[in-house]
Amino acid sequence: MPTGRKSRQWPLLPAIFLNSATVIAYQIVWMRIWSIAQWHHFAYLVISIAMLGLGAGGTLLTLLRERVRGHERRWFGPALLLLALSLPGCYVGAQLIPFETFHLVTQGDQWGWLLLLYTWLAIPFFLSSVCTTLAFFLRPRQVGRVYFADLFGSGVGAALVVGMLFWFPAAWLPYLLSLPLWVLAGWFMWTDGHRLRWVFGATALGVALFGLHLGLTPVRVSDYKPLSYTMQFPDARITDRAQSPLSEINVVRSAQIRETPGQLGNYPFSEAGPLPEQAALFFDASSLSVVNRFDGDLTALRYLDYVTPALAYRVVDAPQVLVIGAGGGTDVLMALYHGAEQVTAVEVDPSVFPLIDRSLADFSGRLYERPDVRPVVAEGRGFLQADRGQYDVIHIALLDAFNAAAAGVYALSESYLYTREAVELYWRHLEPDGVLAITRWLKTPPRDAIRMFATLVEAAEAQGIDAPGEHIAFIRSWNSGTLLLSRSPWTPDQIDSIREFSQARGFDLAWLPGLEPDEVNRFMVLDEPVYFDAARAILGPHRAAFYDEYLFNVRPATDDRPHFFQFFKWDTLGVLRREMGWEWLPFVEWGYLALLGVIVQGAVASVLLILLPLITLTRRVETRGARRWVVAYFTALGLGFMFLEIAFIQKFMLFLAYPLYAVAVVLTAFLVFSGAGSYAADRWRGDRARLVAYAVTGIVVLTVIYVFGLPPLFAATAGWPDAARIVLSLCLIAPLAFFMGMPFPSGLQRVSDRYPAMVPWAWGINGFSSVMGASLATFTAIHLGFRVLVWTAAVIYMLAVPALFRLGKGGADAH
Amino acid sequence: MQRISLLFAVAIITGAVSSLAADYTARREAMVEATIEGRGITDAATLRAMKAVERHEFVTPGMEAQAYADRPLSIGYGQTISQPYIVAAMTEMLQVGEGDVVLEIGAGSGYQAAVLAEIVKHVYTIEIVPQLATLSTERMERLGYDNVTVKEGDGYFGWEDHAPFDGIIVTAAATHIPPPLVEQLKPGARMVIPVGPPMQVQHLMIVEKREDGTVSQRSVMPVRFVPLTGER
Repeated sequence: MPTGRKSRQWPLLPAIFLNSATVIAYQIVWMRIWSIAQWHHFAYLVISIAMLGLGAGGTLLTLLRERVRGHERRWFGPALLLLALSLPGCYVGAQLIPFETFHLVTQGDQWGWLLLLYTWLAIPFFLSSVCTTLAFFLRPRQVGRVYFADLFGSGVGAALVVGMLFWFPAAWLPYLLSLPLWVLAGWFMWTDGHRLRWVFGATALGVALFGLHLGLTPVRVSDYKPLSYTMQFPDARITDRAQSPLSEINVVRSAQIRETPGQLGNYPFSEAGPLPEQAALFFDASSLSVVNRFDGDLTALRYLDYVTPALAYRVVDAPQVLVIGAGGGTDVLMALYHGAEQVTAVEVDPSVFPLIDRSLADFSGRLYERPDVRPVVAEGRGFLQADRGQYDVIHIALLDAFNAAAAGVYALSESYLYTREAVELYWRHLEPDGVLAITRWLKTPPRDAIRMFATLVEAAEAQGIDAPGEHIAFIRSWNSGTLLLSRSPWTPDQIDSIREFSQARGFDLAWLPGLEPDEVNRFMVLDEPVYFDAARAILGPHRAAFYDEYLFNVRPATDDRPHFFQFFKWDTLGVLRREMGWEWLPFVEWGYLALLGVIVQGAVASVLLILLPLITLTRRVETRGARRWVVAYFTALGLGFMFLEIAFIQKFMLFLAYPLYAVAVVLTAFLVFSGAGSYAADRWRGDRARLVAYAVTGIVVLTVIYVFGLPPLFAATAGWPDAARIVLSLCLIAPLAFFMGMPFPSGLQRVSDRYPAMVPWAWGINGFSSVMGASLATFTAIHLGFRVLVWTAAVIYMLAVPALFRLGKGGADAH
Repeated sequence: MQRISLLFAVAIITGAVSSLAADYTARREAMVEATIEGRGITDAATLRAMKAVERHEFVTPGMEAQAYADRPLSIGYGQTISQPYIVAAMTEMLQVGEGDVVLEIGAGSGYQAAVLAEIVKHVYTIEIVPQLATLSTERMERLGYDNVTVKEGDGYFGWEDHAPFDGIIVTAAATHIPPPLVEQLKPGARMVIPVGPPMQVQHLMIVEKREDGTVSQRSVMPVRFVPLTGER
């Protein structure tokens, strides 16, 4: 049996490291590909697919344990090679599957395509899991070390892919990622003199040549994405591209591109002429930000005085402006048009400014090189946390696409720009007479501008304002609403200016101090003056009742529950169904419903592919009652780990401010330090249940400290330089992740020592609970908040300890 | 003998075709009664037009079976043929009659233009996707709608040569209503715009040009959805 000394000469751990690094990178690449091809909430589908593939691979192999025994080495090389083949193979194959989200409702065969896609994309994860499980078979006494290589590889892979996404389009990466695997697999097979080495060598060569011949298959983008239908314009052409780990940007030129931040109100077209020529930046083929042709003559931008956000400039003079979400620069130009002295333009995507510099420099009039414009690459919230500036206007641009917002595709996204704490931060950065201006697309039925209004009100109250209504103005067109929050109560002159602007532009007032019911709902007539009524209710004594009774969740988002775009309420589902019918319901909040779908699908698939085989094939195995404790322990670990990881990643991302680096740093740190924890667990020579008890104590203690300690610590250190904050984050993550890395390999080792027949169960249950854990964590965070998520995780971890002790008592070693 | 069998085959095919046509007519009438009249459309001209226009002629080949379900269908190029109820609602809201001239922006399949053509004097329609413009031109000719003129081009600037219009239908909502269209609307006339992402119209907007030239807009839900609070 080649699992002894000979196998130790084999570079098995480096192979597992590479396997895990590649597969996590591939998973992240797929999240990007789905975001480009369809919509970003499919990221959850990728997590579910990956977990399922990983779970199913481990389960299958452990069930085939007897057949594999003695042949692990012969299986390993080919499995690695198949994995290398599957990365580009599954990518190319997936581009041929005619799946279209929007057709799910009308075309039954789309469910079949979705299922095929789901299964097809699980193949690389399945194969990767086969490799890892073979490694566990090859090194049964070193579970912790193999697990360490697995986690360490995942951590490094997550960091590396973020870097790679700067340099290469997502479509190239399935090919690039497979290269080291080809080499390694070939090396394994050749050094072992594997009888199939020539076959696989030839396949590798054939696939490489075929790939070169085809060229790199582009991502098939849904017909329903804005980029796709813009490209239908006869003169539309893509003139440049850029990519970053955040998005893929296409620059599109066409005479038909005419984007405005909301409705143009009574724009005197005959007199003022058409809009300036625009070039569009499409982010992931969806969100669109335009670059206006600009030659320094601000009068050519007159249209920017005919949109709702222009209201902000009616109440301040020669302001210092902060624009969050600068993109192509429309809102920066709006500020300049209205006489801003200095505009700080914050943009989160690092490729936007270089792209404009590179291909639209003259077109944009070198906007971002002007002395009165300061471009900053940062996430808005994080920028302000560290910034010491005070502003007359803080302008949160319309960051999301008009159509995407209406369809509820952002329901699952956290948005720390729109939380109550965020508004309080903006407030603190306003000059005494400064205003915060937030523009939102209006949804039907009304919900998100109402939630924004509620957020402004509650944030002002939290800042000690007794009559927040005296500080707020809210105007709307048919598709957009602008809300202003003034640091000082409105003066009569300001109130007159707001009235006059709205009247002249044909915008409706939805809130202003002293607004009369006959002044609302005049130009864009709704059946009921819903916005005005909502504003009055929120400012009145029955706010809580209004929140409870409204058909959608319009309570302010908070940092603990930052899902601003999640409006769905279970308790009004019946009313919605009665009013709209089932057929329309999915379209109201389909992002949320997609998450539910993923949970259900993940549960069904996991039961079918992981649990059912285990149940049927291990029925006769004598477990002496250990099975339930194995189930309890590994379910707890799967859920607990996912819950804590997801919750803390969110918290650190907010602190680190630059989401790209934050994801890389936080995810990598979590995985690497967990790996270190499992390595340490492997070296532990004492009672494993005791070790787990120590580790869980560490996890719980740190969780309690972090829940109470992190907010003040983050607030106190927000102004630190990036590097210092990264180091601080690493120091904070390290001990927690280290402890979190211990319970799984310790438990697995114990099961392996005492009930070897139960090892498949441990794997299977872990796979199942991880699939469910990822989705359930989001679900819990949306409904109950991150704090509850963290507490739940701590309790779950505590429940795991007695389960492991019970396993210890289960009897003598089984072998 | 061969000739007889050929005749026999022709007779069978013809019979099948005519029964298919009868089937479509029955399904169309059922659809109009159930989902259009049944959901509150009362305008006689609109109902007549909805019964007259063969929607199965406007869908992508292979999707005829779904033509009389009350839902939007894909016609390729990221475009859809609107849900029949929406077409009927928009037609009714436009409040146009026999002698009127209507402009449509976004011909798509041509279905909405055909429904309008059953009611008004002339329909001018502009389609920006060349393939769809060609397709709907051919379709109009084949189905005998000689009071519909299709033009390939950019609808943003309207069709000044035939302005002003008694009604304008804009089937693709942008971030703003094109100001030239408002200018080409007759005083007292209406523009109807569906608002919402593709495959899922959520509300309709009526833009009304008052006699004094000012404009008012009104949002109308295609689905009954008035009470937003209470009634729980």
